[in-house]
Amino acid sequence: MVSMAIGILLVFLVPKISGQIIDGFPAQAVGAAAGSAGAFVPPAWLEQLTQFLGLSGGTATWLTLTGLLVVCLTAAAGAFQYLRGRLAAQASEGILRSLRMQLYRHLMELPAEAFDRADTGDLVQRCTSDVDTVRLFLSTQVVEIGRAVMLVACSLPLMFALDVRLTWVSISLIPIILGFSMIFFRRLTRAFQAADEAEGRMTSVLQENLTGIRVVRSFGRQDHEEAKFEVANGDHRDRTQHLFRVLALFWSLSDVLCLSQLGLVLFAGAHWTMAGSMTLGTLVAFTQYSALVIWPVRQMGRILVDAGKAGVSLKRLTEILDQAEEAPSMAGGPTGPLSGKGALSLRGVSFRFPVAPSMDGAPVSGEAERDRQGWVLQDVDLELRPGQTLGLVGPPGSGKSALVQLLLGLYDYQAPHGRGSIQLDGVEIASLDRHALRSQVAAVLQNPFLFAKSIESNLRVGHCEAERDELRTATEAASLHSSIESFESGYDTLIGERGVTLSGGQKQRMAIARALLKPAPVLILDDALSAVDHQTEQQILAALKARAGQQTTIVISHRLSSVAHADEIVVLNAGRIVERGCHQQLIASQGAYAHLWHLQHPDPGARKPGPVPTRSHPPTVQP
Amino acid sequence: MQTLLEDSQHAGVRLETWKHLFGFAQAYKPLMGKVALFAFGTGLADISFPLVTKDLVDAITGWREQGSGASPALGGYVWAYLGLTLLLATCVHGFIRSVGRLKTSVSADIRRAGFANLQRLEFAYYDERAAGWLMARMTGDCERLANIMAWGLLDVLWSSTFLVGIASVLLVLNWKLGLLVLTVVPLLAYASRAFQKRILLTSRRIRKIASGITADFNESIMGVLTTKIFSQQGPQAAQFSIRVDELYQSSVRNALLSALYLPAVLTIGSLATAMVLVRGGYAVSLGSMGLGTLVAFLAYTRLMFEPLQQLAHIFSELQMAQASGERIVELLTREPAIQDSESVQSAVQAQKEHPVPGRAEDGGPIEVGAIEFENVSFAYGAGQGGDKQVLSDVQVRIEPGETVALVGSTGGGKTTLISLLCRFYEPTAGRITLGGIDLQARSLHWVQSIFGVVLQDPYLFRGSVRENIRYGQLDASDAEVEAAASLVGAHEMLLALPGGYDFDVGEGGLRLSQGQRQLVSFARALLKNPAVLIMDEATSNIDTQTERNIQQALHKVLQGRTSFVIAHRLSTIERADRILVIEGGRILEQGTHSELLAKRGRYFDLLHHQGLEATGTKASDWELGAIRPD
Repeated sequence: MVSMAIGILLVFLVPKISGQIIDGFPAQAVGAAAGSAGAFVPPAWLEQLTQFLGLSGGTATWLTLTGLLVVCLTAAAGAFQYLRGRLAAQASEGILRSLRMQLYRHLMELPAEAFDRADTGDLVQRCTSDVDTVRLFLSTQVVEIGRAVMLVACSLPLMFALDVRLTWVSISLIPIILGFSMIFFRRLTRAFQAADEAEGRMTSVLQENLTGIRVVRSFGRQDHEEAKFEVANGDHRDRTQHLFRVLALFWSLSDVLCLSQLGLVLFAGAHWTMAGSMTLGTLVAFTQYSALVIWPVRQMGRILVDAGKAGVSLKRLTEILDQAEEAPSMAGGPTGPLSGKGALSLRGVSFRFPVAPSMDGAPVSGEAERDRQGWVLQDVDLELRPGQTLGLVGPPGSGKSALVQLLLGLYDYQAPHGRGSIQLDGVEIASLDRHALRSQVAAVLQNPFLFAKSIESNLRVGHCEAERDELRTATEAASLHSSIESFESGYDTLIGERGVTLSGGQKQRMAIARALLKPAPVLILDDALSAVDHQTEQQILAALKARAGQQTTIVISHRLSSVAHADEIVVLNAGRIVERGCHQQLIASQGAYAHLWHLQHPDPGARKPGPVPTRSHPPTVQP
Repeated sequence: MQTLLEDSQHAGVRLETWKHLFGFAQAYKPLMGKVALFAFGTGLADISFPLVTKDLVDAITGWREQGSGASPALGGYVWAYLGLTLLLATCVHGFIRSVGRLKTSVSADIRRAGFANLQRLEFAYYDERAAGWLMARMTGDCERLANIMAWGLLDVLWSSTFLVGIASVLLVLNWKLGLLVLTVVPLLAYASRAFQKRILLTSRRIRKIASGITADFNESIMGVLTTKIFSQQGPQAAQFSIRVDELYQSSVRNALLSALYLPAVLTIGSLATAMVLVRGGYAVSLGSMGLGTLVAFLAYTRLMFEPLQQLAHIFSELQMAQASGERIVELLTREPAIQDSESVQSAVQAQKEHPVPGRAEDGGPIEVGAIEFENVSFAYGAGQGGDKQVLSDVQVRIEPGETVALVGSTGGGKTTLISLLCRFYEPTAGRITLGGIDLQARSLHWVQSIFGVVLQDPYLFRGSVRENIRYGQLDASDAEVEAAASLVGAHEMLLALPGGYDFDVGEGGLRLSQGQRQLVSFARALLKNPAVLIMDEATSNIDTQTERNIQQALHKVLQGRTSFVIAHRLSTIERADRILVIEGGRILEQGTHSELLAKRGRYFDLLHHQGLEATGTKASDWELGAIRPD
């Protein structure tokens, strides 16, 4: 602020000096014939300065001194201007830095349901483009507004001191210019909006075409697509041209207004100068002052438009920031230390998904959505002693993954979304700190996610202080070690666009290794072997069996061979446990489990008509 | 691959690139003329304002020196001033409008040409480039280049007019002082160029970091559950903060350069002001120069740096945009690797001019006939060193009306086989024939017209369900659209949607479930009534009713139609006339279900050990009644 003020004051001095030098000359009119150097009458300060420096006076000295002064003043003003720019940049970029961090941290702490329906692209857009719009406004326009205000605040007293009448003249048109800006603000905002929307439409046609290129080609619809794009492209062009027409009108009319203002100063000043009530130097200085004042005012229309845009973006950002973060624990505080043994007990657990309000309010349809509205789990009872293995199977939508998400504290199973009790080593998990709970459970989720980092960093997500040989033990158990060794950079190989692209099976095995590395008493594999082939599956299962007794394990799979070894197998349907027992018991009871087992393991010797030897073709319709 | 396509630093400006791009501006010659005229006019008006002031000041001092007589009339000056104001406003209005028109027209034209070429380019081109990368070329790059061309034209013309004008006025007014003042021009030019270049370099760095931040946000949101269950919020945020800090540093650096630039050139400019004050002031005191001239000189020295700044900026922009320019030109000029040969093109032309009845649009037979793969091999990225053999020596003949089920492990080559048939790729060896005629001897358009494709996770376009189904045949009536939906058993389901057939499916069709999407795309394919149906069965969770509808529809539709089904369901496989077991790019076994089971080979293995890929993922695999929740 101070540097801004000083900078502006210094900027104002240069015209004043030039003005005084010019005023030195009229005296020469008297002694024009003599043409002597002494005819130049320096302003008093210049004479004092000359004496102070111990120089002898004279036009040459005075003028040289003035010249030096002008350069020094400009440089000094520049230094302050630079300081102002520096402070402004540090301030605005600093605000942006913390805004970005705040958004990021907040997103990571939002509850799982906030992401259920959110569109990733939209969220990313808010976090990047909208932040950028705010940045642009902060770094340019806010600084500009501050400068304009300071400029006016500093210059008006100076100008009034110089000449009151001319000062009134030089601000006479400013209200008109402001009013004009206000009027255009609406038109400009509309034109900008129309152009932006047209651009959005064009981009989405383009995006759809590029993403759906297979569909376009397989229907031979290139011409149709070109016609569609032509419409959107042309619309974008026309609307942008309209925007330019509005801008052209705005800038040219504001030019007329501003130049009129400058002209008024010039001619009113000239009039008064000739009338003798003002010096020529004051006039020259004033023409420069009023130019300094008028140009920022001229920007007002543009500033208003940008402020409007920034306001919209800010609103979209607060929509994210206003969502409540995940509470540290579901209820109450931690109730004492955990034994870390891994005993799990579920009693009468019922649950349904909370529905997070969608940010854009778009309705969602389809089975997927309807399924989410009823009870996903109903009166589930489970008892797992430390080290036991549970197999969890059932048709899609039967509640298997929901159960996992509850155990991980991703959703709250207490009223109003559910009821019952889930205890880990005798402690109700709702009362645990979420981080403490999650530290007890290592999990492989459906469609596991890997980060675009090196293989080693991805594994270390499971346990960051793991020793090298621990990494190796985990990857070997996941049948992944040899694949990693076959990569050129081994464990340092980058995953993702800039490195290797892993197959679905490799991704799953990475996620398994990552989970195995995590020192937690409970291990959950949610459909973690669906993309690996039979042989690898058997290897991994064998490795898991070798660890039996160390970790309480829950295996969810559609492939029954993955759960056949479990101590207990539970069949879920529509959120209820419909069958339970060990493999032999379930096969003997000839229920749904046995049916699917035979479907997946047909005995070709016995088959004749259908795929299942003991019965006819499985009915697809059940009453 | 990615590194290959990344921004490369370019030292110079290559003329061919810009010649090609300016070719797009050629169509707008009158508009370019207007831009030039208005730029010239603006420059002229800008130069003339200080002259009016000069004359006025001279008149006033002249009148004072005389010490008597009537004061000079202001009227003439006022009129001159007003005239210049109007001239300037007209020119400003004119150039904003015409530059706007030029810019938008040129960018729309480049985009149109780019889009048209993208429609012709082969799939391999898309495989090498992410959709996001292509988007950036077609939006950001296009806009940037059109901006440079249109505003560059204006700025170069205005700056030159202004600069030459100032120089001439100064030299005419007082050539000695003028020459002295002009000595700072090289200094100003040098400083401007140096600063602009650095400013643009840091801007570029900022853009790069910003795209990294976008990627970070994207990754973190997609992996948020993983982050949560491993309690990685802290490390993730720490990593993110490194990138955010980098952005902060670069942005501040960029702002500092800009903050330094203006004071620097103003200070250099003040050297000229000082020289004018000293030398000019002396001359005035000697009476050898008018006071007005001094005032004019003072005004001009303050204006000089602006055109230089513009010129430096444009030149640096051109240099920086070189890479964008080259990428666009490459996109525009690239020849599709798969296109109709000359003989096919002339056959299409001949059929158009003298249609032979009973012939297809390319003069060939309308019937597809038997489909034969003759020793077909294929490798992705062939010829680029990165050979990855996907199909080897595939030999198979499919009779008209036959239903073929393709089974085998993921990555075995099933999808590639289909892609070759649709001519999305060209075999690296061997050939595919339809009714004995080489696929390459038929027109691409005809080939595309005979296939109906249903993908596993089909893509739907933004818009209503009706529009999406109609994509199969653009001139189909509403009744025909609904008939196609009924055929796949989707009619009731679609009517139940809010708005029925007018239900907006959203981006990518994501407001529908995957099963619903597949049904809609099934209807879309059938509306076309294709001679050959290609279907990739859905593997993932589909609810029972939708699943049942698809199965029943398949039953009806496959009858008597040549079809290829990448099958995941036993019932589909059992219904097929022939099963091809594809593993490691070869057809390992073929025959009917019972033949293959009896063989106890790979097919038996697949069925026995893995229960196929997706058994158990569908609700109907489970012998469970629909227990409805309360």
